Amino acid sequence: MAAQLLEIKNLVTAFHTSEGRVPAVDGVSLSIKRGRTLGLVGESGCGKSVTAMSILRLVSSPGRIESGSITFTTESESIDLVTAAEKQLRKVRGGCIGMIFQEPMTSLNPVFTVGDQIAEVVQLHQKVSRAEARSRALEMLHLVRVADPEQRLDAYPHQLSGGMRQRVMIAIALACEPDLIIADEPTTALDVTIQAQILELLEDLRSRLGTATLLITHDLGVVAETCDDVAVMNAGRIVEQAPAVELFSHPLHPYTKGLLQARPNVDTRDRSPLATIPGMVPAPQDFPSGCRFHPRCSYVREPRCDAEPPTLREVSSGHFVRCHFAEEIDS
Amino acid sequence: MSDQSPQANPPLIRVKDLKTHFPIKKGLLRRQVGSVKAVDGVTFDIARGETLGLVGESGCGKTTVGRSILRLVEPTKGEVTFDGRAVREENTRDLRSLRRRMQIVFQDPYGSLNPRMKIRSILEEGLILHRMGDERDRLEQMKQALERTGLSATVLERYPHEFSGGQRQRIAIARSLVLKPEFLVLDEPVSALDVSIQAQVINLLEELKQELGLTYLFISHDLSVVEYLADNVAVMYLGQIVESAEVNQLCQQPLHPYTLALFSAVPSVEVKSRRQRIVLTGDVPSPSQPPVGCRFHPRCPLAETVCREVEPPQVDLAGHRFHCHVASRELERCGGDVGKTSKAIQAAITAVYSDSNEPYSAV
Repeated sequence: MAAQLLEIKNLVTAFHTSEGRVPAVDGVSLSIKRGRTLGLVGESGCGKSVTAMSILRLVSSPGRIESGSITFTTESESIDLVTAAEKQLRKVRGGCIGMIFQEPMTSLNPVFTVGDQIAEVVQLHQKVSRAEARSRALEMLHLVRVADPEQRLDAYPHQLSGGMRQRVMIAIALACEPDLIIADEPTTALDVTIQAQILELLEDLRSRLGTATLLITHDLGVVAETCDDVAVMNAGRIVEQAPAVELFSHPLHPYTKGLLQARPNVDTRDRSPLATIPGMVPAPQDFPSGCRFHPRCSYVREPRCDAEPPTLREVSSGHFVRCHFAEEIDS
Repeated sequence: MSDQSPQANPPLIRVKDLKTHFPIKKGLLRRQVGSVKAVDGVTFDIARGETLGLVGESGCGKTTVGRSILRLVEPTKGEVTFDGRAVREENTRDLRSLRRRMQIVFQDPYGSLNPRMKIRSILEEGLILHRMGDERDRLEQMKQALERTGLSATVLERYPHEFSGGQRQRIAIARSLVLKPEFLVLDEPVSALDVSIQAQVINLLEELKQELGLTYLFISHDLSVVEYLADNVAVMYLGQIVESAEVNQLCQQPLHPYTLALFSAVPSVEVKSRRQRIVLTGDVPSPSQPPVGCRFHPRCPLAETVCREVEPPQVDLAGHRFHCHVASRELERCGGDVGKTSKAIQAAITAVYSDSNEPYSAV
């Protein structure tokens, strides 16, 4: 069995709009090992969700995966999701790879009961009768700790609270015992106490079922609390990647440093002005030349930074960074 | 929440036993069958130049408190005093002049700016309404307000869609500043923004407060932001304030189990300090039928018989106020030592979780 469950290599996903080609994801490489959790962090528009959608090939026109490969290795076979046939993909979506979306209200169908929606996935992927699928749905609701699962099975999404809906989403994603779960901002729409519940649940399920997770979020705190490895994305590219403990204790890329410093620090209660990253998050149609972070970077050194795009290189074991001057900034 | 006596320095904002209930109407005749008690007896003061942080989960009524103060929704009961004037008793005309002095910045900068209006019209609208200056003065005022928020006068002729979220929030802040208010209700002003942009807007708000001597009611669910900006913090749960105190006092020595849970639920980037997380079970109950006794009891790990039956009275310890039976008893046992009591309650909650068989309740 290969160690890497999912391996993305040089993924380029671009949108062809009237304003020209917009490369939302521009050469992203990532890998997730079996049973591990990878956090993909970045601000809005950095391409993290498009990366997730590309894995399941859910990017719709005018978006297109232009190059790269996404190798998904199950126990029996290894598939390139970029070139796989639609029929094969349908088995993967919701089968070996489950997906949890951000908005539990809009991603659940309001006209079907939650029981039907969980059973639907089961029936699509497994040869079971309606009754069996329904009992599987009930089992899943138990698993994600929905209170009164028997009654909730026949409830419609609007009758449930945000946290409950997200539990249902998780139940759907887990119904076919996938090897990988892609969770796109699973707790962003929720309150902190409910977020804590959902994070605990995901963690618990992961340790019991051994499911690998790709967690996409803008919240560094969530990543620090749940992930084994972290990749930081900026302007369509990975700028830093390392094990979570290493990344948070020893960030190297100026962008990662900036993100960490921009949070009010609850522990020190320092009231001096927050460190900010100047400027705005650039839109994909006007990514800067050279290093895409250079207009916002406080360590910028012309002319190299605006001329030559840095590569993602390994500076210490397992710690990758895309910056010309990472070592100098660090010292 | 100021410690000074009300005679010496009367607070700018006084809210006393504020209640805002929304009727639930049903049937052909739209008869009222119940009410959503969004705000149900809230009391606080904000001294001039201070920031009160109002925190709580969605649906706890914190936004309704902000809107009730400005009478953007009509309160059902209670008193709101702004600089000595009873806001609820003002007629429409006087209310308008009061509203110039108290402004609001909304959460969603995408929804709060009219997409069909130029920034000029958005900013000028208030000035015209309040008959402030002629056209030249108004332009000058607008330029000043924009400059203060870090924007240039060139934005005046542009439309909201041309701006990013952070810029729009600056425009929304400029819109409220142009009227030279004394008091701002900031309703989740940074929640919709990216982390790096959040820091910019937080710094801007702090700067403006210092320069213009503004008073803020800062409403947020993000405790780290509130801790950073607020002088005093009030924690709301189901329409009521369960605990309030000076910010450091509240953060370091919280007494109410809900406050403890709320603080422990905030994810921290300190990997080494993966703290004891208190995970509350269940959801916030509906404010149309709040639980009897202490409203938090169905989710409280320390709930006792008395909590299910009797509404806890307020305990006031030199400005640190809370409503909790267990905490007040512990406080008595600890001889009035708040720090000791806070630790005792924390320990009690941890003990409850480690005894139960719930595999995920304590990390």
